[in-house]
This record gives sequence, C-alpha cells and structure tokens, in this order.
Amino acid sequence: MERRNFLNVTLGALALAVVPASVKAEDYRATKPAVWAAHTVDDALKAMYGTTTLIEEGVSLTAPDVASNGGAIPVDFSTDLDIKSIAVYQDANPEAAVCAYTVTKYTINKYSIKIKMAKSGTITIVAEGNDGKLYAAKKTLDVALGGCEG
Amino acid sequence: MKVKAKLKNGVIKVKAMAKHEMSTFNMMEKKTGNREDANFITHITGTINGETVLDISTSQFLSKNPIFKFEIKGDTFKKGDKLLMNWVDRKGKTGKGKGKIK
Repeated sequence: MERRNFLNVTLGALALAVVPASVKAEDYRATKPAVWAAHTVDDALKAMYGTTTLIEEGVSLTAPDVASNGGAIPVDFSTDLDIKSIAVYQDANPEAAVCAYTVTKYTINKYSIKIKMAKSGTITIVAEGNDGKLYAAKKTLDVALGGCEG
Repeated sequence: MKVKAKLKNGVIKVKAMAKHEMSTFNMMEKKTGNREDANFITHITGTINGETVLDISTSQFLSKNPIFKFEIKGDTFKKGDKLLMNWVDRKGKTGKGKGKIK
C-alpha cells in the first residue's frame, strides 16, 4: 500500500512537471481539431477563436498577385503587435487552415512559407492579440495552375 | 530536415526545409483512391538549449518539401548554439534536423 502511494505521488509530480512545457507550446491540431477540418475560413476562425470579427490592421502580408505555380506560393507575413498566435488561412482549398504558429517569448513575428492553393482565392493571416482581439491581413490572388492536383 | 541559422544584429534568421511529400486528401484520392493515404507534416517544433523557439501546427496545404523562414530574438543565444527542429506527420513518422547558429 505504501509503495502504491509512493508511485502515485511520484507519477503525480511527474505529470505536474511535464504539463507546463506542453501548455507553453500549444499543438492546435490536438487541442482544436475542428479548425483543421473546417471548410470555410469563417468556420475555421470560429473553431479557433470563437469569433470571426477581424480588425484589418497591424499585420502585413506579401504574396504574388498572380501565382504561376499553385503548388508553392510564397507567403510572407509579419506583425509588431503583442500576440500569442498567428495563423494562415485561405479559401481556395477544400479545408481552410494552412498553419498556426504559437508565439514564444523568443519569437520575432516575421515569417515566410510556401503554400498550396488549388485555385484563385484569398489568403487571410490572423494574429491573435494578447488583448483578445484578432488582427488580420488579406490578399486575393490569381492562381494560374492549381497546386492540389499533384 | 535542413536547418540554417544566422545571428546578426541580435536577430537569428532561420531557414529550414523539411523533406516531405505533403500529400493532400484530394491528391491521394486521385492517385490511390483512398483519401486516408494523405500524409503531411502536422506539427513542427524548434528548440535552442532546451528552450522552445518555434511551434507550428501545420496542414496539408504547405508546399511539398516545405520551407520555413522565421526569426528569433538573438539576445539569449549565441553563435555555436544549436537549433534543433523536429516534425511529426499524420502517420506518426518523425523527422529532425539541427543547425549551428553562425
């Protein structure tokens, strides 16, 4: 019995020690699976933040006006705002979410990635402010050759 | 995973590339007839000296062999420190890479 107690206490302590690390960096695929299955940007935003109200300022987004290859569209985005996460959505593919960054205390919010888009559409970057507001930037572009056909 | 990190003026600029097919549900449906064959990186983390500096949850809409560029505050880290990056995909396979900060 004593031994069992010892185990319980040890495991409890271990669990406590492990939790902070996993909380610090949130795996949005595990915590918010609905975001990744959402078919529209609005549904994804609702699943991710509980609201679709965006303030279109404070975030900069650079993407080409016309993408010749939809399989690798360069997307650059940045913000100087005090935020806790920043994510990329688009409305050209079957599902809306592309990726979501958790901001750490070492992060400078300046990113560059390449994404796939099946057809012309709009890219939306959403920065989740520590003030609880959602800041966004949008860019509509033409895609000459869709990127999801392989 | 290839990782390049350069420290300049207090900012570490990182360029990382993961070698991965990043196949979507629709692509695999056409190819094999089974949507569930889709496989893509779902999560990527980066650490320096045990401190998490990057954490991305990703979907199938990143390009094939996706490239990530990002920046990290350089004041806590120094040249010679190693940036370790790990990814995990939909099928549970993992990949890693490291780059020395130059």
